[in-house]
Amino acid sequence: MKKSRKGLIKKIALYLFVLVLCAVILYPYFVMFTTAAKTREEMYALNMTILPKDWKWSNFVDVWSQAPILRYFLNSVIVAGGATCIAILCGVPAAYAMSRMQFKGKGFFLGAVIMSQMFAPVVLLMGIYRLMLDLNLTNNLLGLILLNAAFNQAFAIWLLRGTFLSISPEMEQAAKIDGCGSVGSLTRVLLPMAAPGIVTTLIFVFINAWNEYTMALTLISTDTLKPITVGINVFNGFNMIQWQYMFATSLFATAPVIILFLCIEKHLVAGLTSGGVKG
Amino acid sequence: MKKSAFKKIEPYIWMLPSIILMVTMIAVPVFTVFKLSVSDISRSGVVKGFSGLENFQSIFASAKFWHTLQNTLVWTVVVVGMSTLLGFIIAMVLNQNFACRKIVRAIVVFPWATSLIIQSIVWKYIITADFGSLNVILKKLGIISRNINWTPNAAAYFAWECWIGIFVTIPFVTFCVLSGLQSIDDTYYEAADIDGASFWQKLYRITLPLLRPNLTVSTVLNIIYVFNSFPIIWTITKGDPADKTHTLATYLYKLAFTNGRMGQAAAVSVVGFVILCFCAGIYMILSLRAEKEEQ
Repeated sequence: MKKSRKGLIKKIALYLFVLVLCAVILYPYFVMFTTAAKTREEMYALNMTILPKDWKWSNFVDVWSQAPILRYFLNSVIVAGGATCIAILCGVPAAYAMSRMQFKGKGFFLGAVIMSQMFAPVVLLMGIYRLMLDLNLTNNLLGLILLNAAFNQAFAIWLLRGTFLSISPEMEQAAKIDGCGSVGSLTRVLLPMAAPGIVTTLIFVFINAWNEYTMALTLISTDTLKPITVGINVFNGFNMIQWQYMFATSLFATAPVIILFLCIEKHLVAGLTSGGVKG
Repeated sequence: MKKSAFKKIEPYIWMLPSIILMVTMIAVPVFTVFKLSVSDISRSGVVKGFSGLENFQSIFASAKFWHTLQNTLVWTVVVVGMSTLLGFIIAMVLNQNFACRKIVRAIVVFPWATSLIIQSIVWKYIITADFGSLNVILKKLGIISRNINWTPNAAAYFAWECWIGIFVTIPFVTFCVLSGLQSIDDTYYEAADIDGASFWQKLYRITLPLLRPNLTVSTVLNIIYVFNSFPIIWTITKGDPADKTHTLATYLYKLAFTNGRMGQAAAVSVVGFVILCFCAGIYMILSLRAEKEEQ
């Protein structure tokens, strides 16, 4: 009797905690959504309401003609897509060598990969800026693609190596006996089995590049080349911030990423922690 | 014979694309930053020559730098510490059985997947005094009767920035811990229950030791990211009022790209590297020692 009462209190406390947690986490998204549907007059009205008095759904359509949002989105897709391709094309062979081959300096390379994480783009910006000037890649999407690929390389190798290590090498050895070379055993045997890990890596790099802000802010000055994270500030005018359009754009930029992230969340966390544990 | 020579260099060929990419895009800028930190650079960015430690001397002589350094330490410790604590608690709760658990897990992912810049813009709107959402909601709930100025001074701004940092960092910790919790065998807890162990005993003797690898990964990565974090502070205050809310990342950005002091900015970068390397060194020593103890 006493025990069941204690259990009930525990249960109520648990649900209360979860409820508060969800409310706090969803609060900014709620604000984005409700503000995006407000009229401009209501935005700066004296008597503010939580929900819009009349929902102006047309904001979500109008925003596309208010600024070159479509162009910004396209740039983001190009940068994130390009960076993902390059990061994977370079990362797969490197992770393959680091998980399946023994060679001198392997420990050093692994260490260097992890060390490279310490150099965030922002502390290297002066160096990056000069490098891009030398390569003639400032104000160029290709520059952003290469940079994003490089700064995600460590994570890509980390995740891919963890995936490869979790797959037993026996099948590849069998393939080699049957006359497959290293390339064949990688592409025909290992990669199909590692598909979930590779998809996770693809999506994770894509999201990171999609959300990148600092390098794009510094390197891109032409309006039509801005990715969405930088372009969104077009609504942050000199004397007036058009919050409703800013938040409508934010929702468009956030929703696809959250959906992608939900697809990989399980694999990603397992990969991140296991890649770090298996030395 | 020929084959064995190829075997020897084969791994390096596999790694070559990755090495080329990382050397040109990361190692070269690292080198440039070190070079710039000891160079005399004009405002237009022309390197005029070697200047020794002059850049370092001038940043060390500036009170703003020391204030920024202090902010950076507070920022890193508070954000990583609080998000680890809260993330851990949330993971423990999410590991319980309750209805809609899947939905709640999905919701916790949201801040992790959202761009920092968008998250910062929303919070900037929320805490605005005249029409911000926080005042409106609190007024409707009857908790306050007049608009509160949430950001009366630099310290208040900085506290809000820390809160946003914590808010966006929690999910990563939560999911790292959660994946560890789910791999712990239930029999440990059953055995502990038979022995009459309390909640805290189970936490200290079973859960925490088994979660150490997960907590290590999340803490190490978070220290690096939070230390170098730029978009939150840049969006909310740009380091103002009076340069009082800078961390090293925003300070060096302002020095380099607003004030045109590239050399000093590079020196700030180098100081940042040194601090992170120092932390990494301590971490290596501690983890090696812990490994030895286990053996």
